Amino acid sequence: MSTMTGKAAQPAKVQAGPGTSQSPAAGPQERRGRKRPSMGVQNAAGWLFSTPFLVLFTVFMAFPILATLLMSFTDFGLRNVTHPLDANFIGFENYANLFGDEKFLKSLFNTAYFVVIGVPLTIFLGLVVAVLLNNGIDRARTFFRVGFYAPVVTTIVAVAVVWRFVLDPSDGLIAGLFTEVGLTPPDFLGSETLAMPSMIAMAVWRNLGTVMVLFIAGLQAIPTEVREAAKLDGAGVWHEFRRITVPLLRPTLLYATVITTIGYLNVFEEPFVMTQGGPSDSTLTVSLNMYREGFNFFHMGYASAMAYVLFVVIMGITVLQLRLLKDNTK
Amino acid sequence: MSRTARTASVGIAVALAFGITACGSSGADVAADKKQTLTVWAMGAEGEKLADVAKVYEKSHPNITVKVTPVGWDVAHQKLVSAAAAGTMPDVAQMGGSYMGEFSELGVLEPVDTKTFDKKDFFPSGWNQGEVDGTAYGVPWYVDTRVLYYRTDLAEKAGIDKAPTNWKEMQDLATAYQKKAGTKWGLSIQPSGLDTVQNFYSFLYSAGGEIVNDKGEAVIDSPEAVKALKEYGSYFDKGLSNKSVAPGYDVVKDFGNGRVPMFFGGPWHVTLLNEGQPQIKGKWAVANVPADKSSVSMAGGSSLVVSKDSEHKAAATEFIKYLTDAKGQADWYERTKDLPANTAAWTSGALSDDANLQVFKKQMDTAKAAPSLAKWTEITDKVDQAIAKVTQGKASAQDALKTAQSQIEGLVK
Repeated sequence: MSTMTGKAAQPAKVQAGPGTSQSPAAGPQERRGRKRPSMGVQNAAGWLFSTPFLVLFTVFMAFPILATLLMSFTDFGLRNVTHPLDANFIGFENYANLFGDEKFLKSLFNTAYFVVIGVPLTIFLGLVVAVLLNNGIDRARTFFRVGFYAPVVTTIVAVAVVWRFVLDPSDGLIAGLFTEVGLTPPDFLGSETLAMPSMIAMAVWRNLGTVMVLFIAGLQAIPTEVREAAKLDGAGVWHEFRRITVPLLRPTLLYATVITTIGYLNVFEEPFVMTQGGPSDSTLTVSLNMYREGFNFFHMGYASAMAYVLFVVIMGITVLQLRLLKDNTK
Repeated sequence: MSRTARTASVGIAVALAFGITACGSSGADVAADKKQTLTVWAMGAEGEKLADVAKVYEKSHPNITVKVTPVGWDVAHQKLVSAAAAGTMPDVAQMGGSYMGEFSELGVLEPVDTKTFDKKDFFPSGWNQGEVDGTAYGVPWYVDTRVLYYRTDLAEKAGIDKAPTNWKEMQDLATAYQKKAGTKWGLSIQPSGLDTVQNFYSFLYSAGGEIVNDKGEAVIDSPEAVKALKEYGSYFDKGLSNKSVAPGYDVVKDFGNGRVPMFFGGPWHVTLLNEGQPQIKGKWAVANVPADKSSVSMAGGSSLVVSKDSEHKAAATEFIKYLTDAKGQADWYERTKDLPANTAAWTSGALSDDANLQVFKKQMDTAKAAPSLAKWTEITDKVDQAIAKVTQGKASAQDALKTAQSQIEGLVK
């Protein structure tokens, strides 16, 4: 296969690199004393070991990605599932149609809403919880860490059951608090204005743990000497946090922000299990819209185009974030 | 990646995409009396029960091994589409009425052998849902329809001692339940979300409306449809029905504890209530859908289809015959409580004398199946949206249906 010759030179070069530069003394000696396996054998072994990955990658990643790209330029529909060659090539028509599609624009807006409110909340609360856990409450620390992390490893269906109880307007947890003080409880999931914030609250609760763990790791990587030095210089808690913790935590902050943003741009599960996008599409996100177009209505070509638009958006935002946040560290 | 590598991988992707599907078998058909294995897919509870029936069948047909694969309803549609795409459809498959249009369009179904199966033996709506453009592709296996379930004990408390027969009586009862019997809601109907239309059908059809008529024209903005949606919406305006119902909500528990005294349910709810809510035994009843012009409910159910690529069509036809004749259907009812699609099966046992079942049977005689259109899911989605607009107070029935009408016109062509 031509792919092999195309990539073959690279692994060999990487291997030769550190061997020669890091220990110049050992290099010639080794070469003299022991016969190194020939380039060809080394390459073959490399390919052999990476074959399982390459096969899986090709079948489950590269192929679908390419097939989707091709599909996005066709009118691939239900009939084409059995007659794929009958799909018509329609160029950029799907993409052009997307931007006149009210529903898609709404889902794009909803997703943006979700990200703009959800990401800062998740990051901020994750940081707060991590700092609290890292500094205070020594004895119950493990308990709280597990407590905050539990939602991350809980299946979405279980989460949905709990949150439906919390949000239920007639006998839910929050409704109970409202009636206690004599107010009419709001109908969280049934209201167009409240459904999205409810969804965000649920997502923040669910993803806080991931971010918290990242921050705890980051916080513990900050050398105690630095903190002690700061304290000796008379820095207060707030000062230490602003001048020491935050700057040293910036790589973690960057990473957490980027992965949370990507995750939220793809948000699917929360609206899928809680509202199915309703009421009146107020919680319809791009991913959910894509799923419905593709698997409910079989507009495969159109759904593929949607996937690529989402991909470009995610890519753009990620690059932008890396630029903005990285520059600040200098 | 080098240029050649890139070209190669694109080539492979294209070849795979378009080649994988081209390998459907087209071998000769095996005679029914030869030794063979029949593969059958059935969904949900049916899938599990069918294996027992298959064992009985194997005893009388020792040359045939029936391999039943139960498929969950939630994944059934996608699995069938994937199988159709890959040319790996089972010999026999159970299909919901709403699938028929799609799968006949995919060209993977064998037309029903009308010499073996007679239209006259089945409920018209059962047969109709297996028919696409005048050709039958599915043999009706079981049917279902929706009727009104209501709490008789609470109705008595509210001062009403008979089942509602028309729209006004139903709304009066709902109001009385709430006002006099202290129930939380009056009637449970779905306000929005996927398949809301299933609750709306009883109103729409009873008023004499349709979504798409016999000629294939969109008619959802007809005066009858508007009237039906106004009535439907009024339950939400008046606070008789819950405006926000979570996806997957199951009404059975709330019916049991009396928060919801009325709902439209299928035959399976009888079993669910008997087994899950024994405390209300004898305190509820079923009634035909309250009428406007007439009492017409939706018809659903499942058909059995034979795959076009099957090499065991003769045996498959015999097996389906076994499942759908009067005897097989009565036996199936005993096992699953699914309503027989074959009318002859209704002449004996519980099917002929149980009062609840007679309500279902009467409803079945007029029940209306959805047309078998490939884009039906998409069409009903537009109706779902119109219903949501009305129940959430965003639009009048007239305006919401006008929008739906123009959207559906583009889908029926």
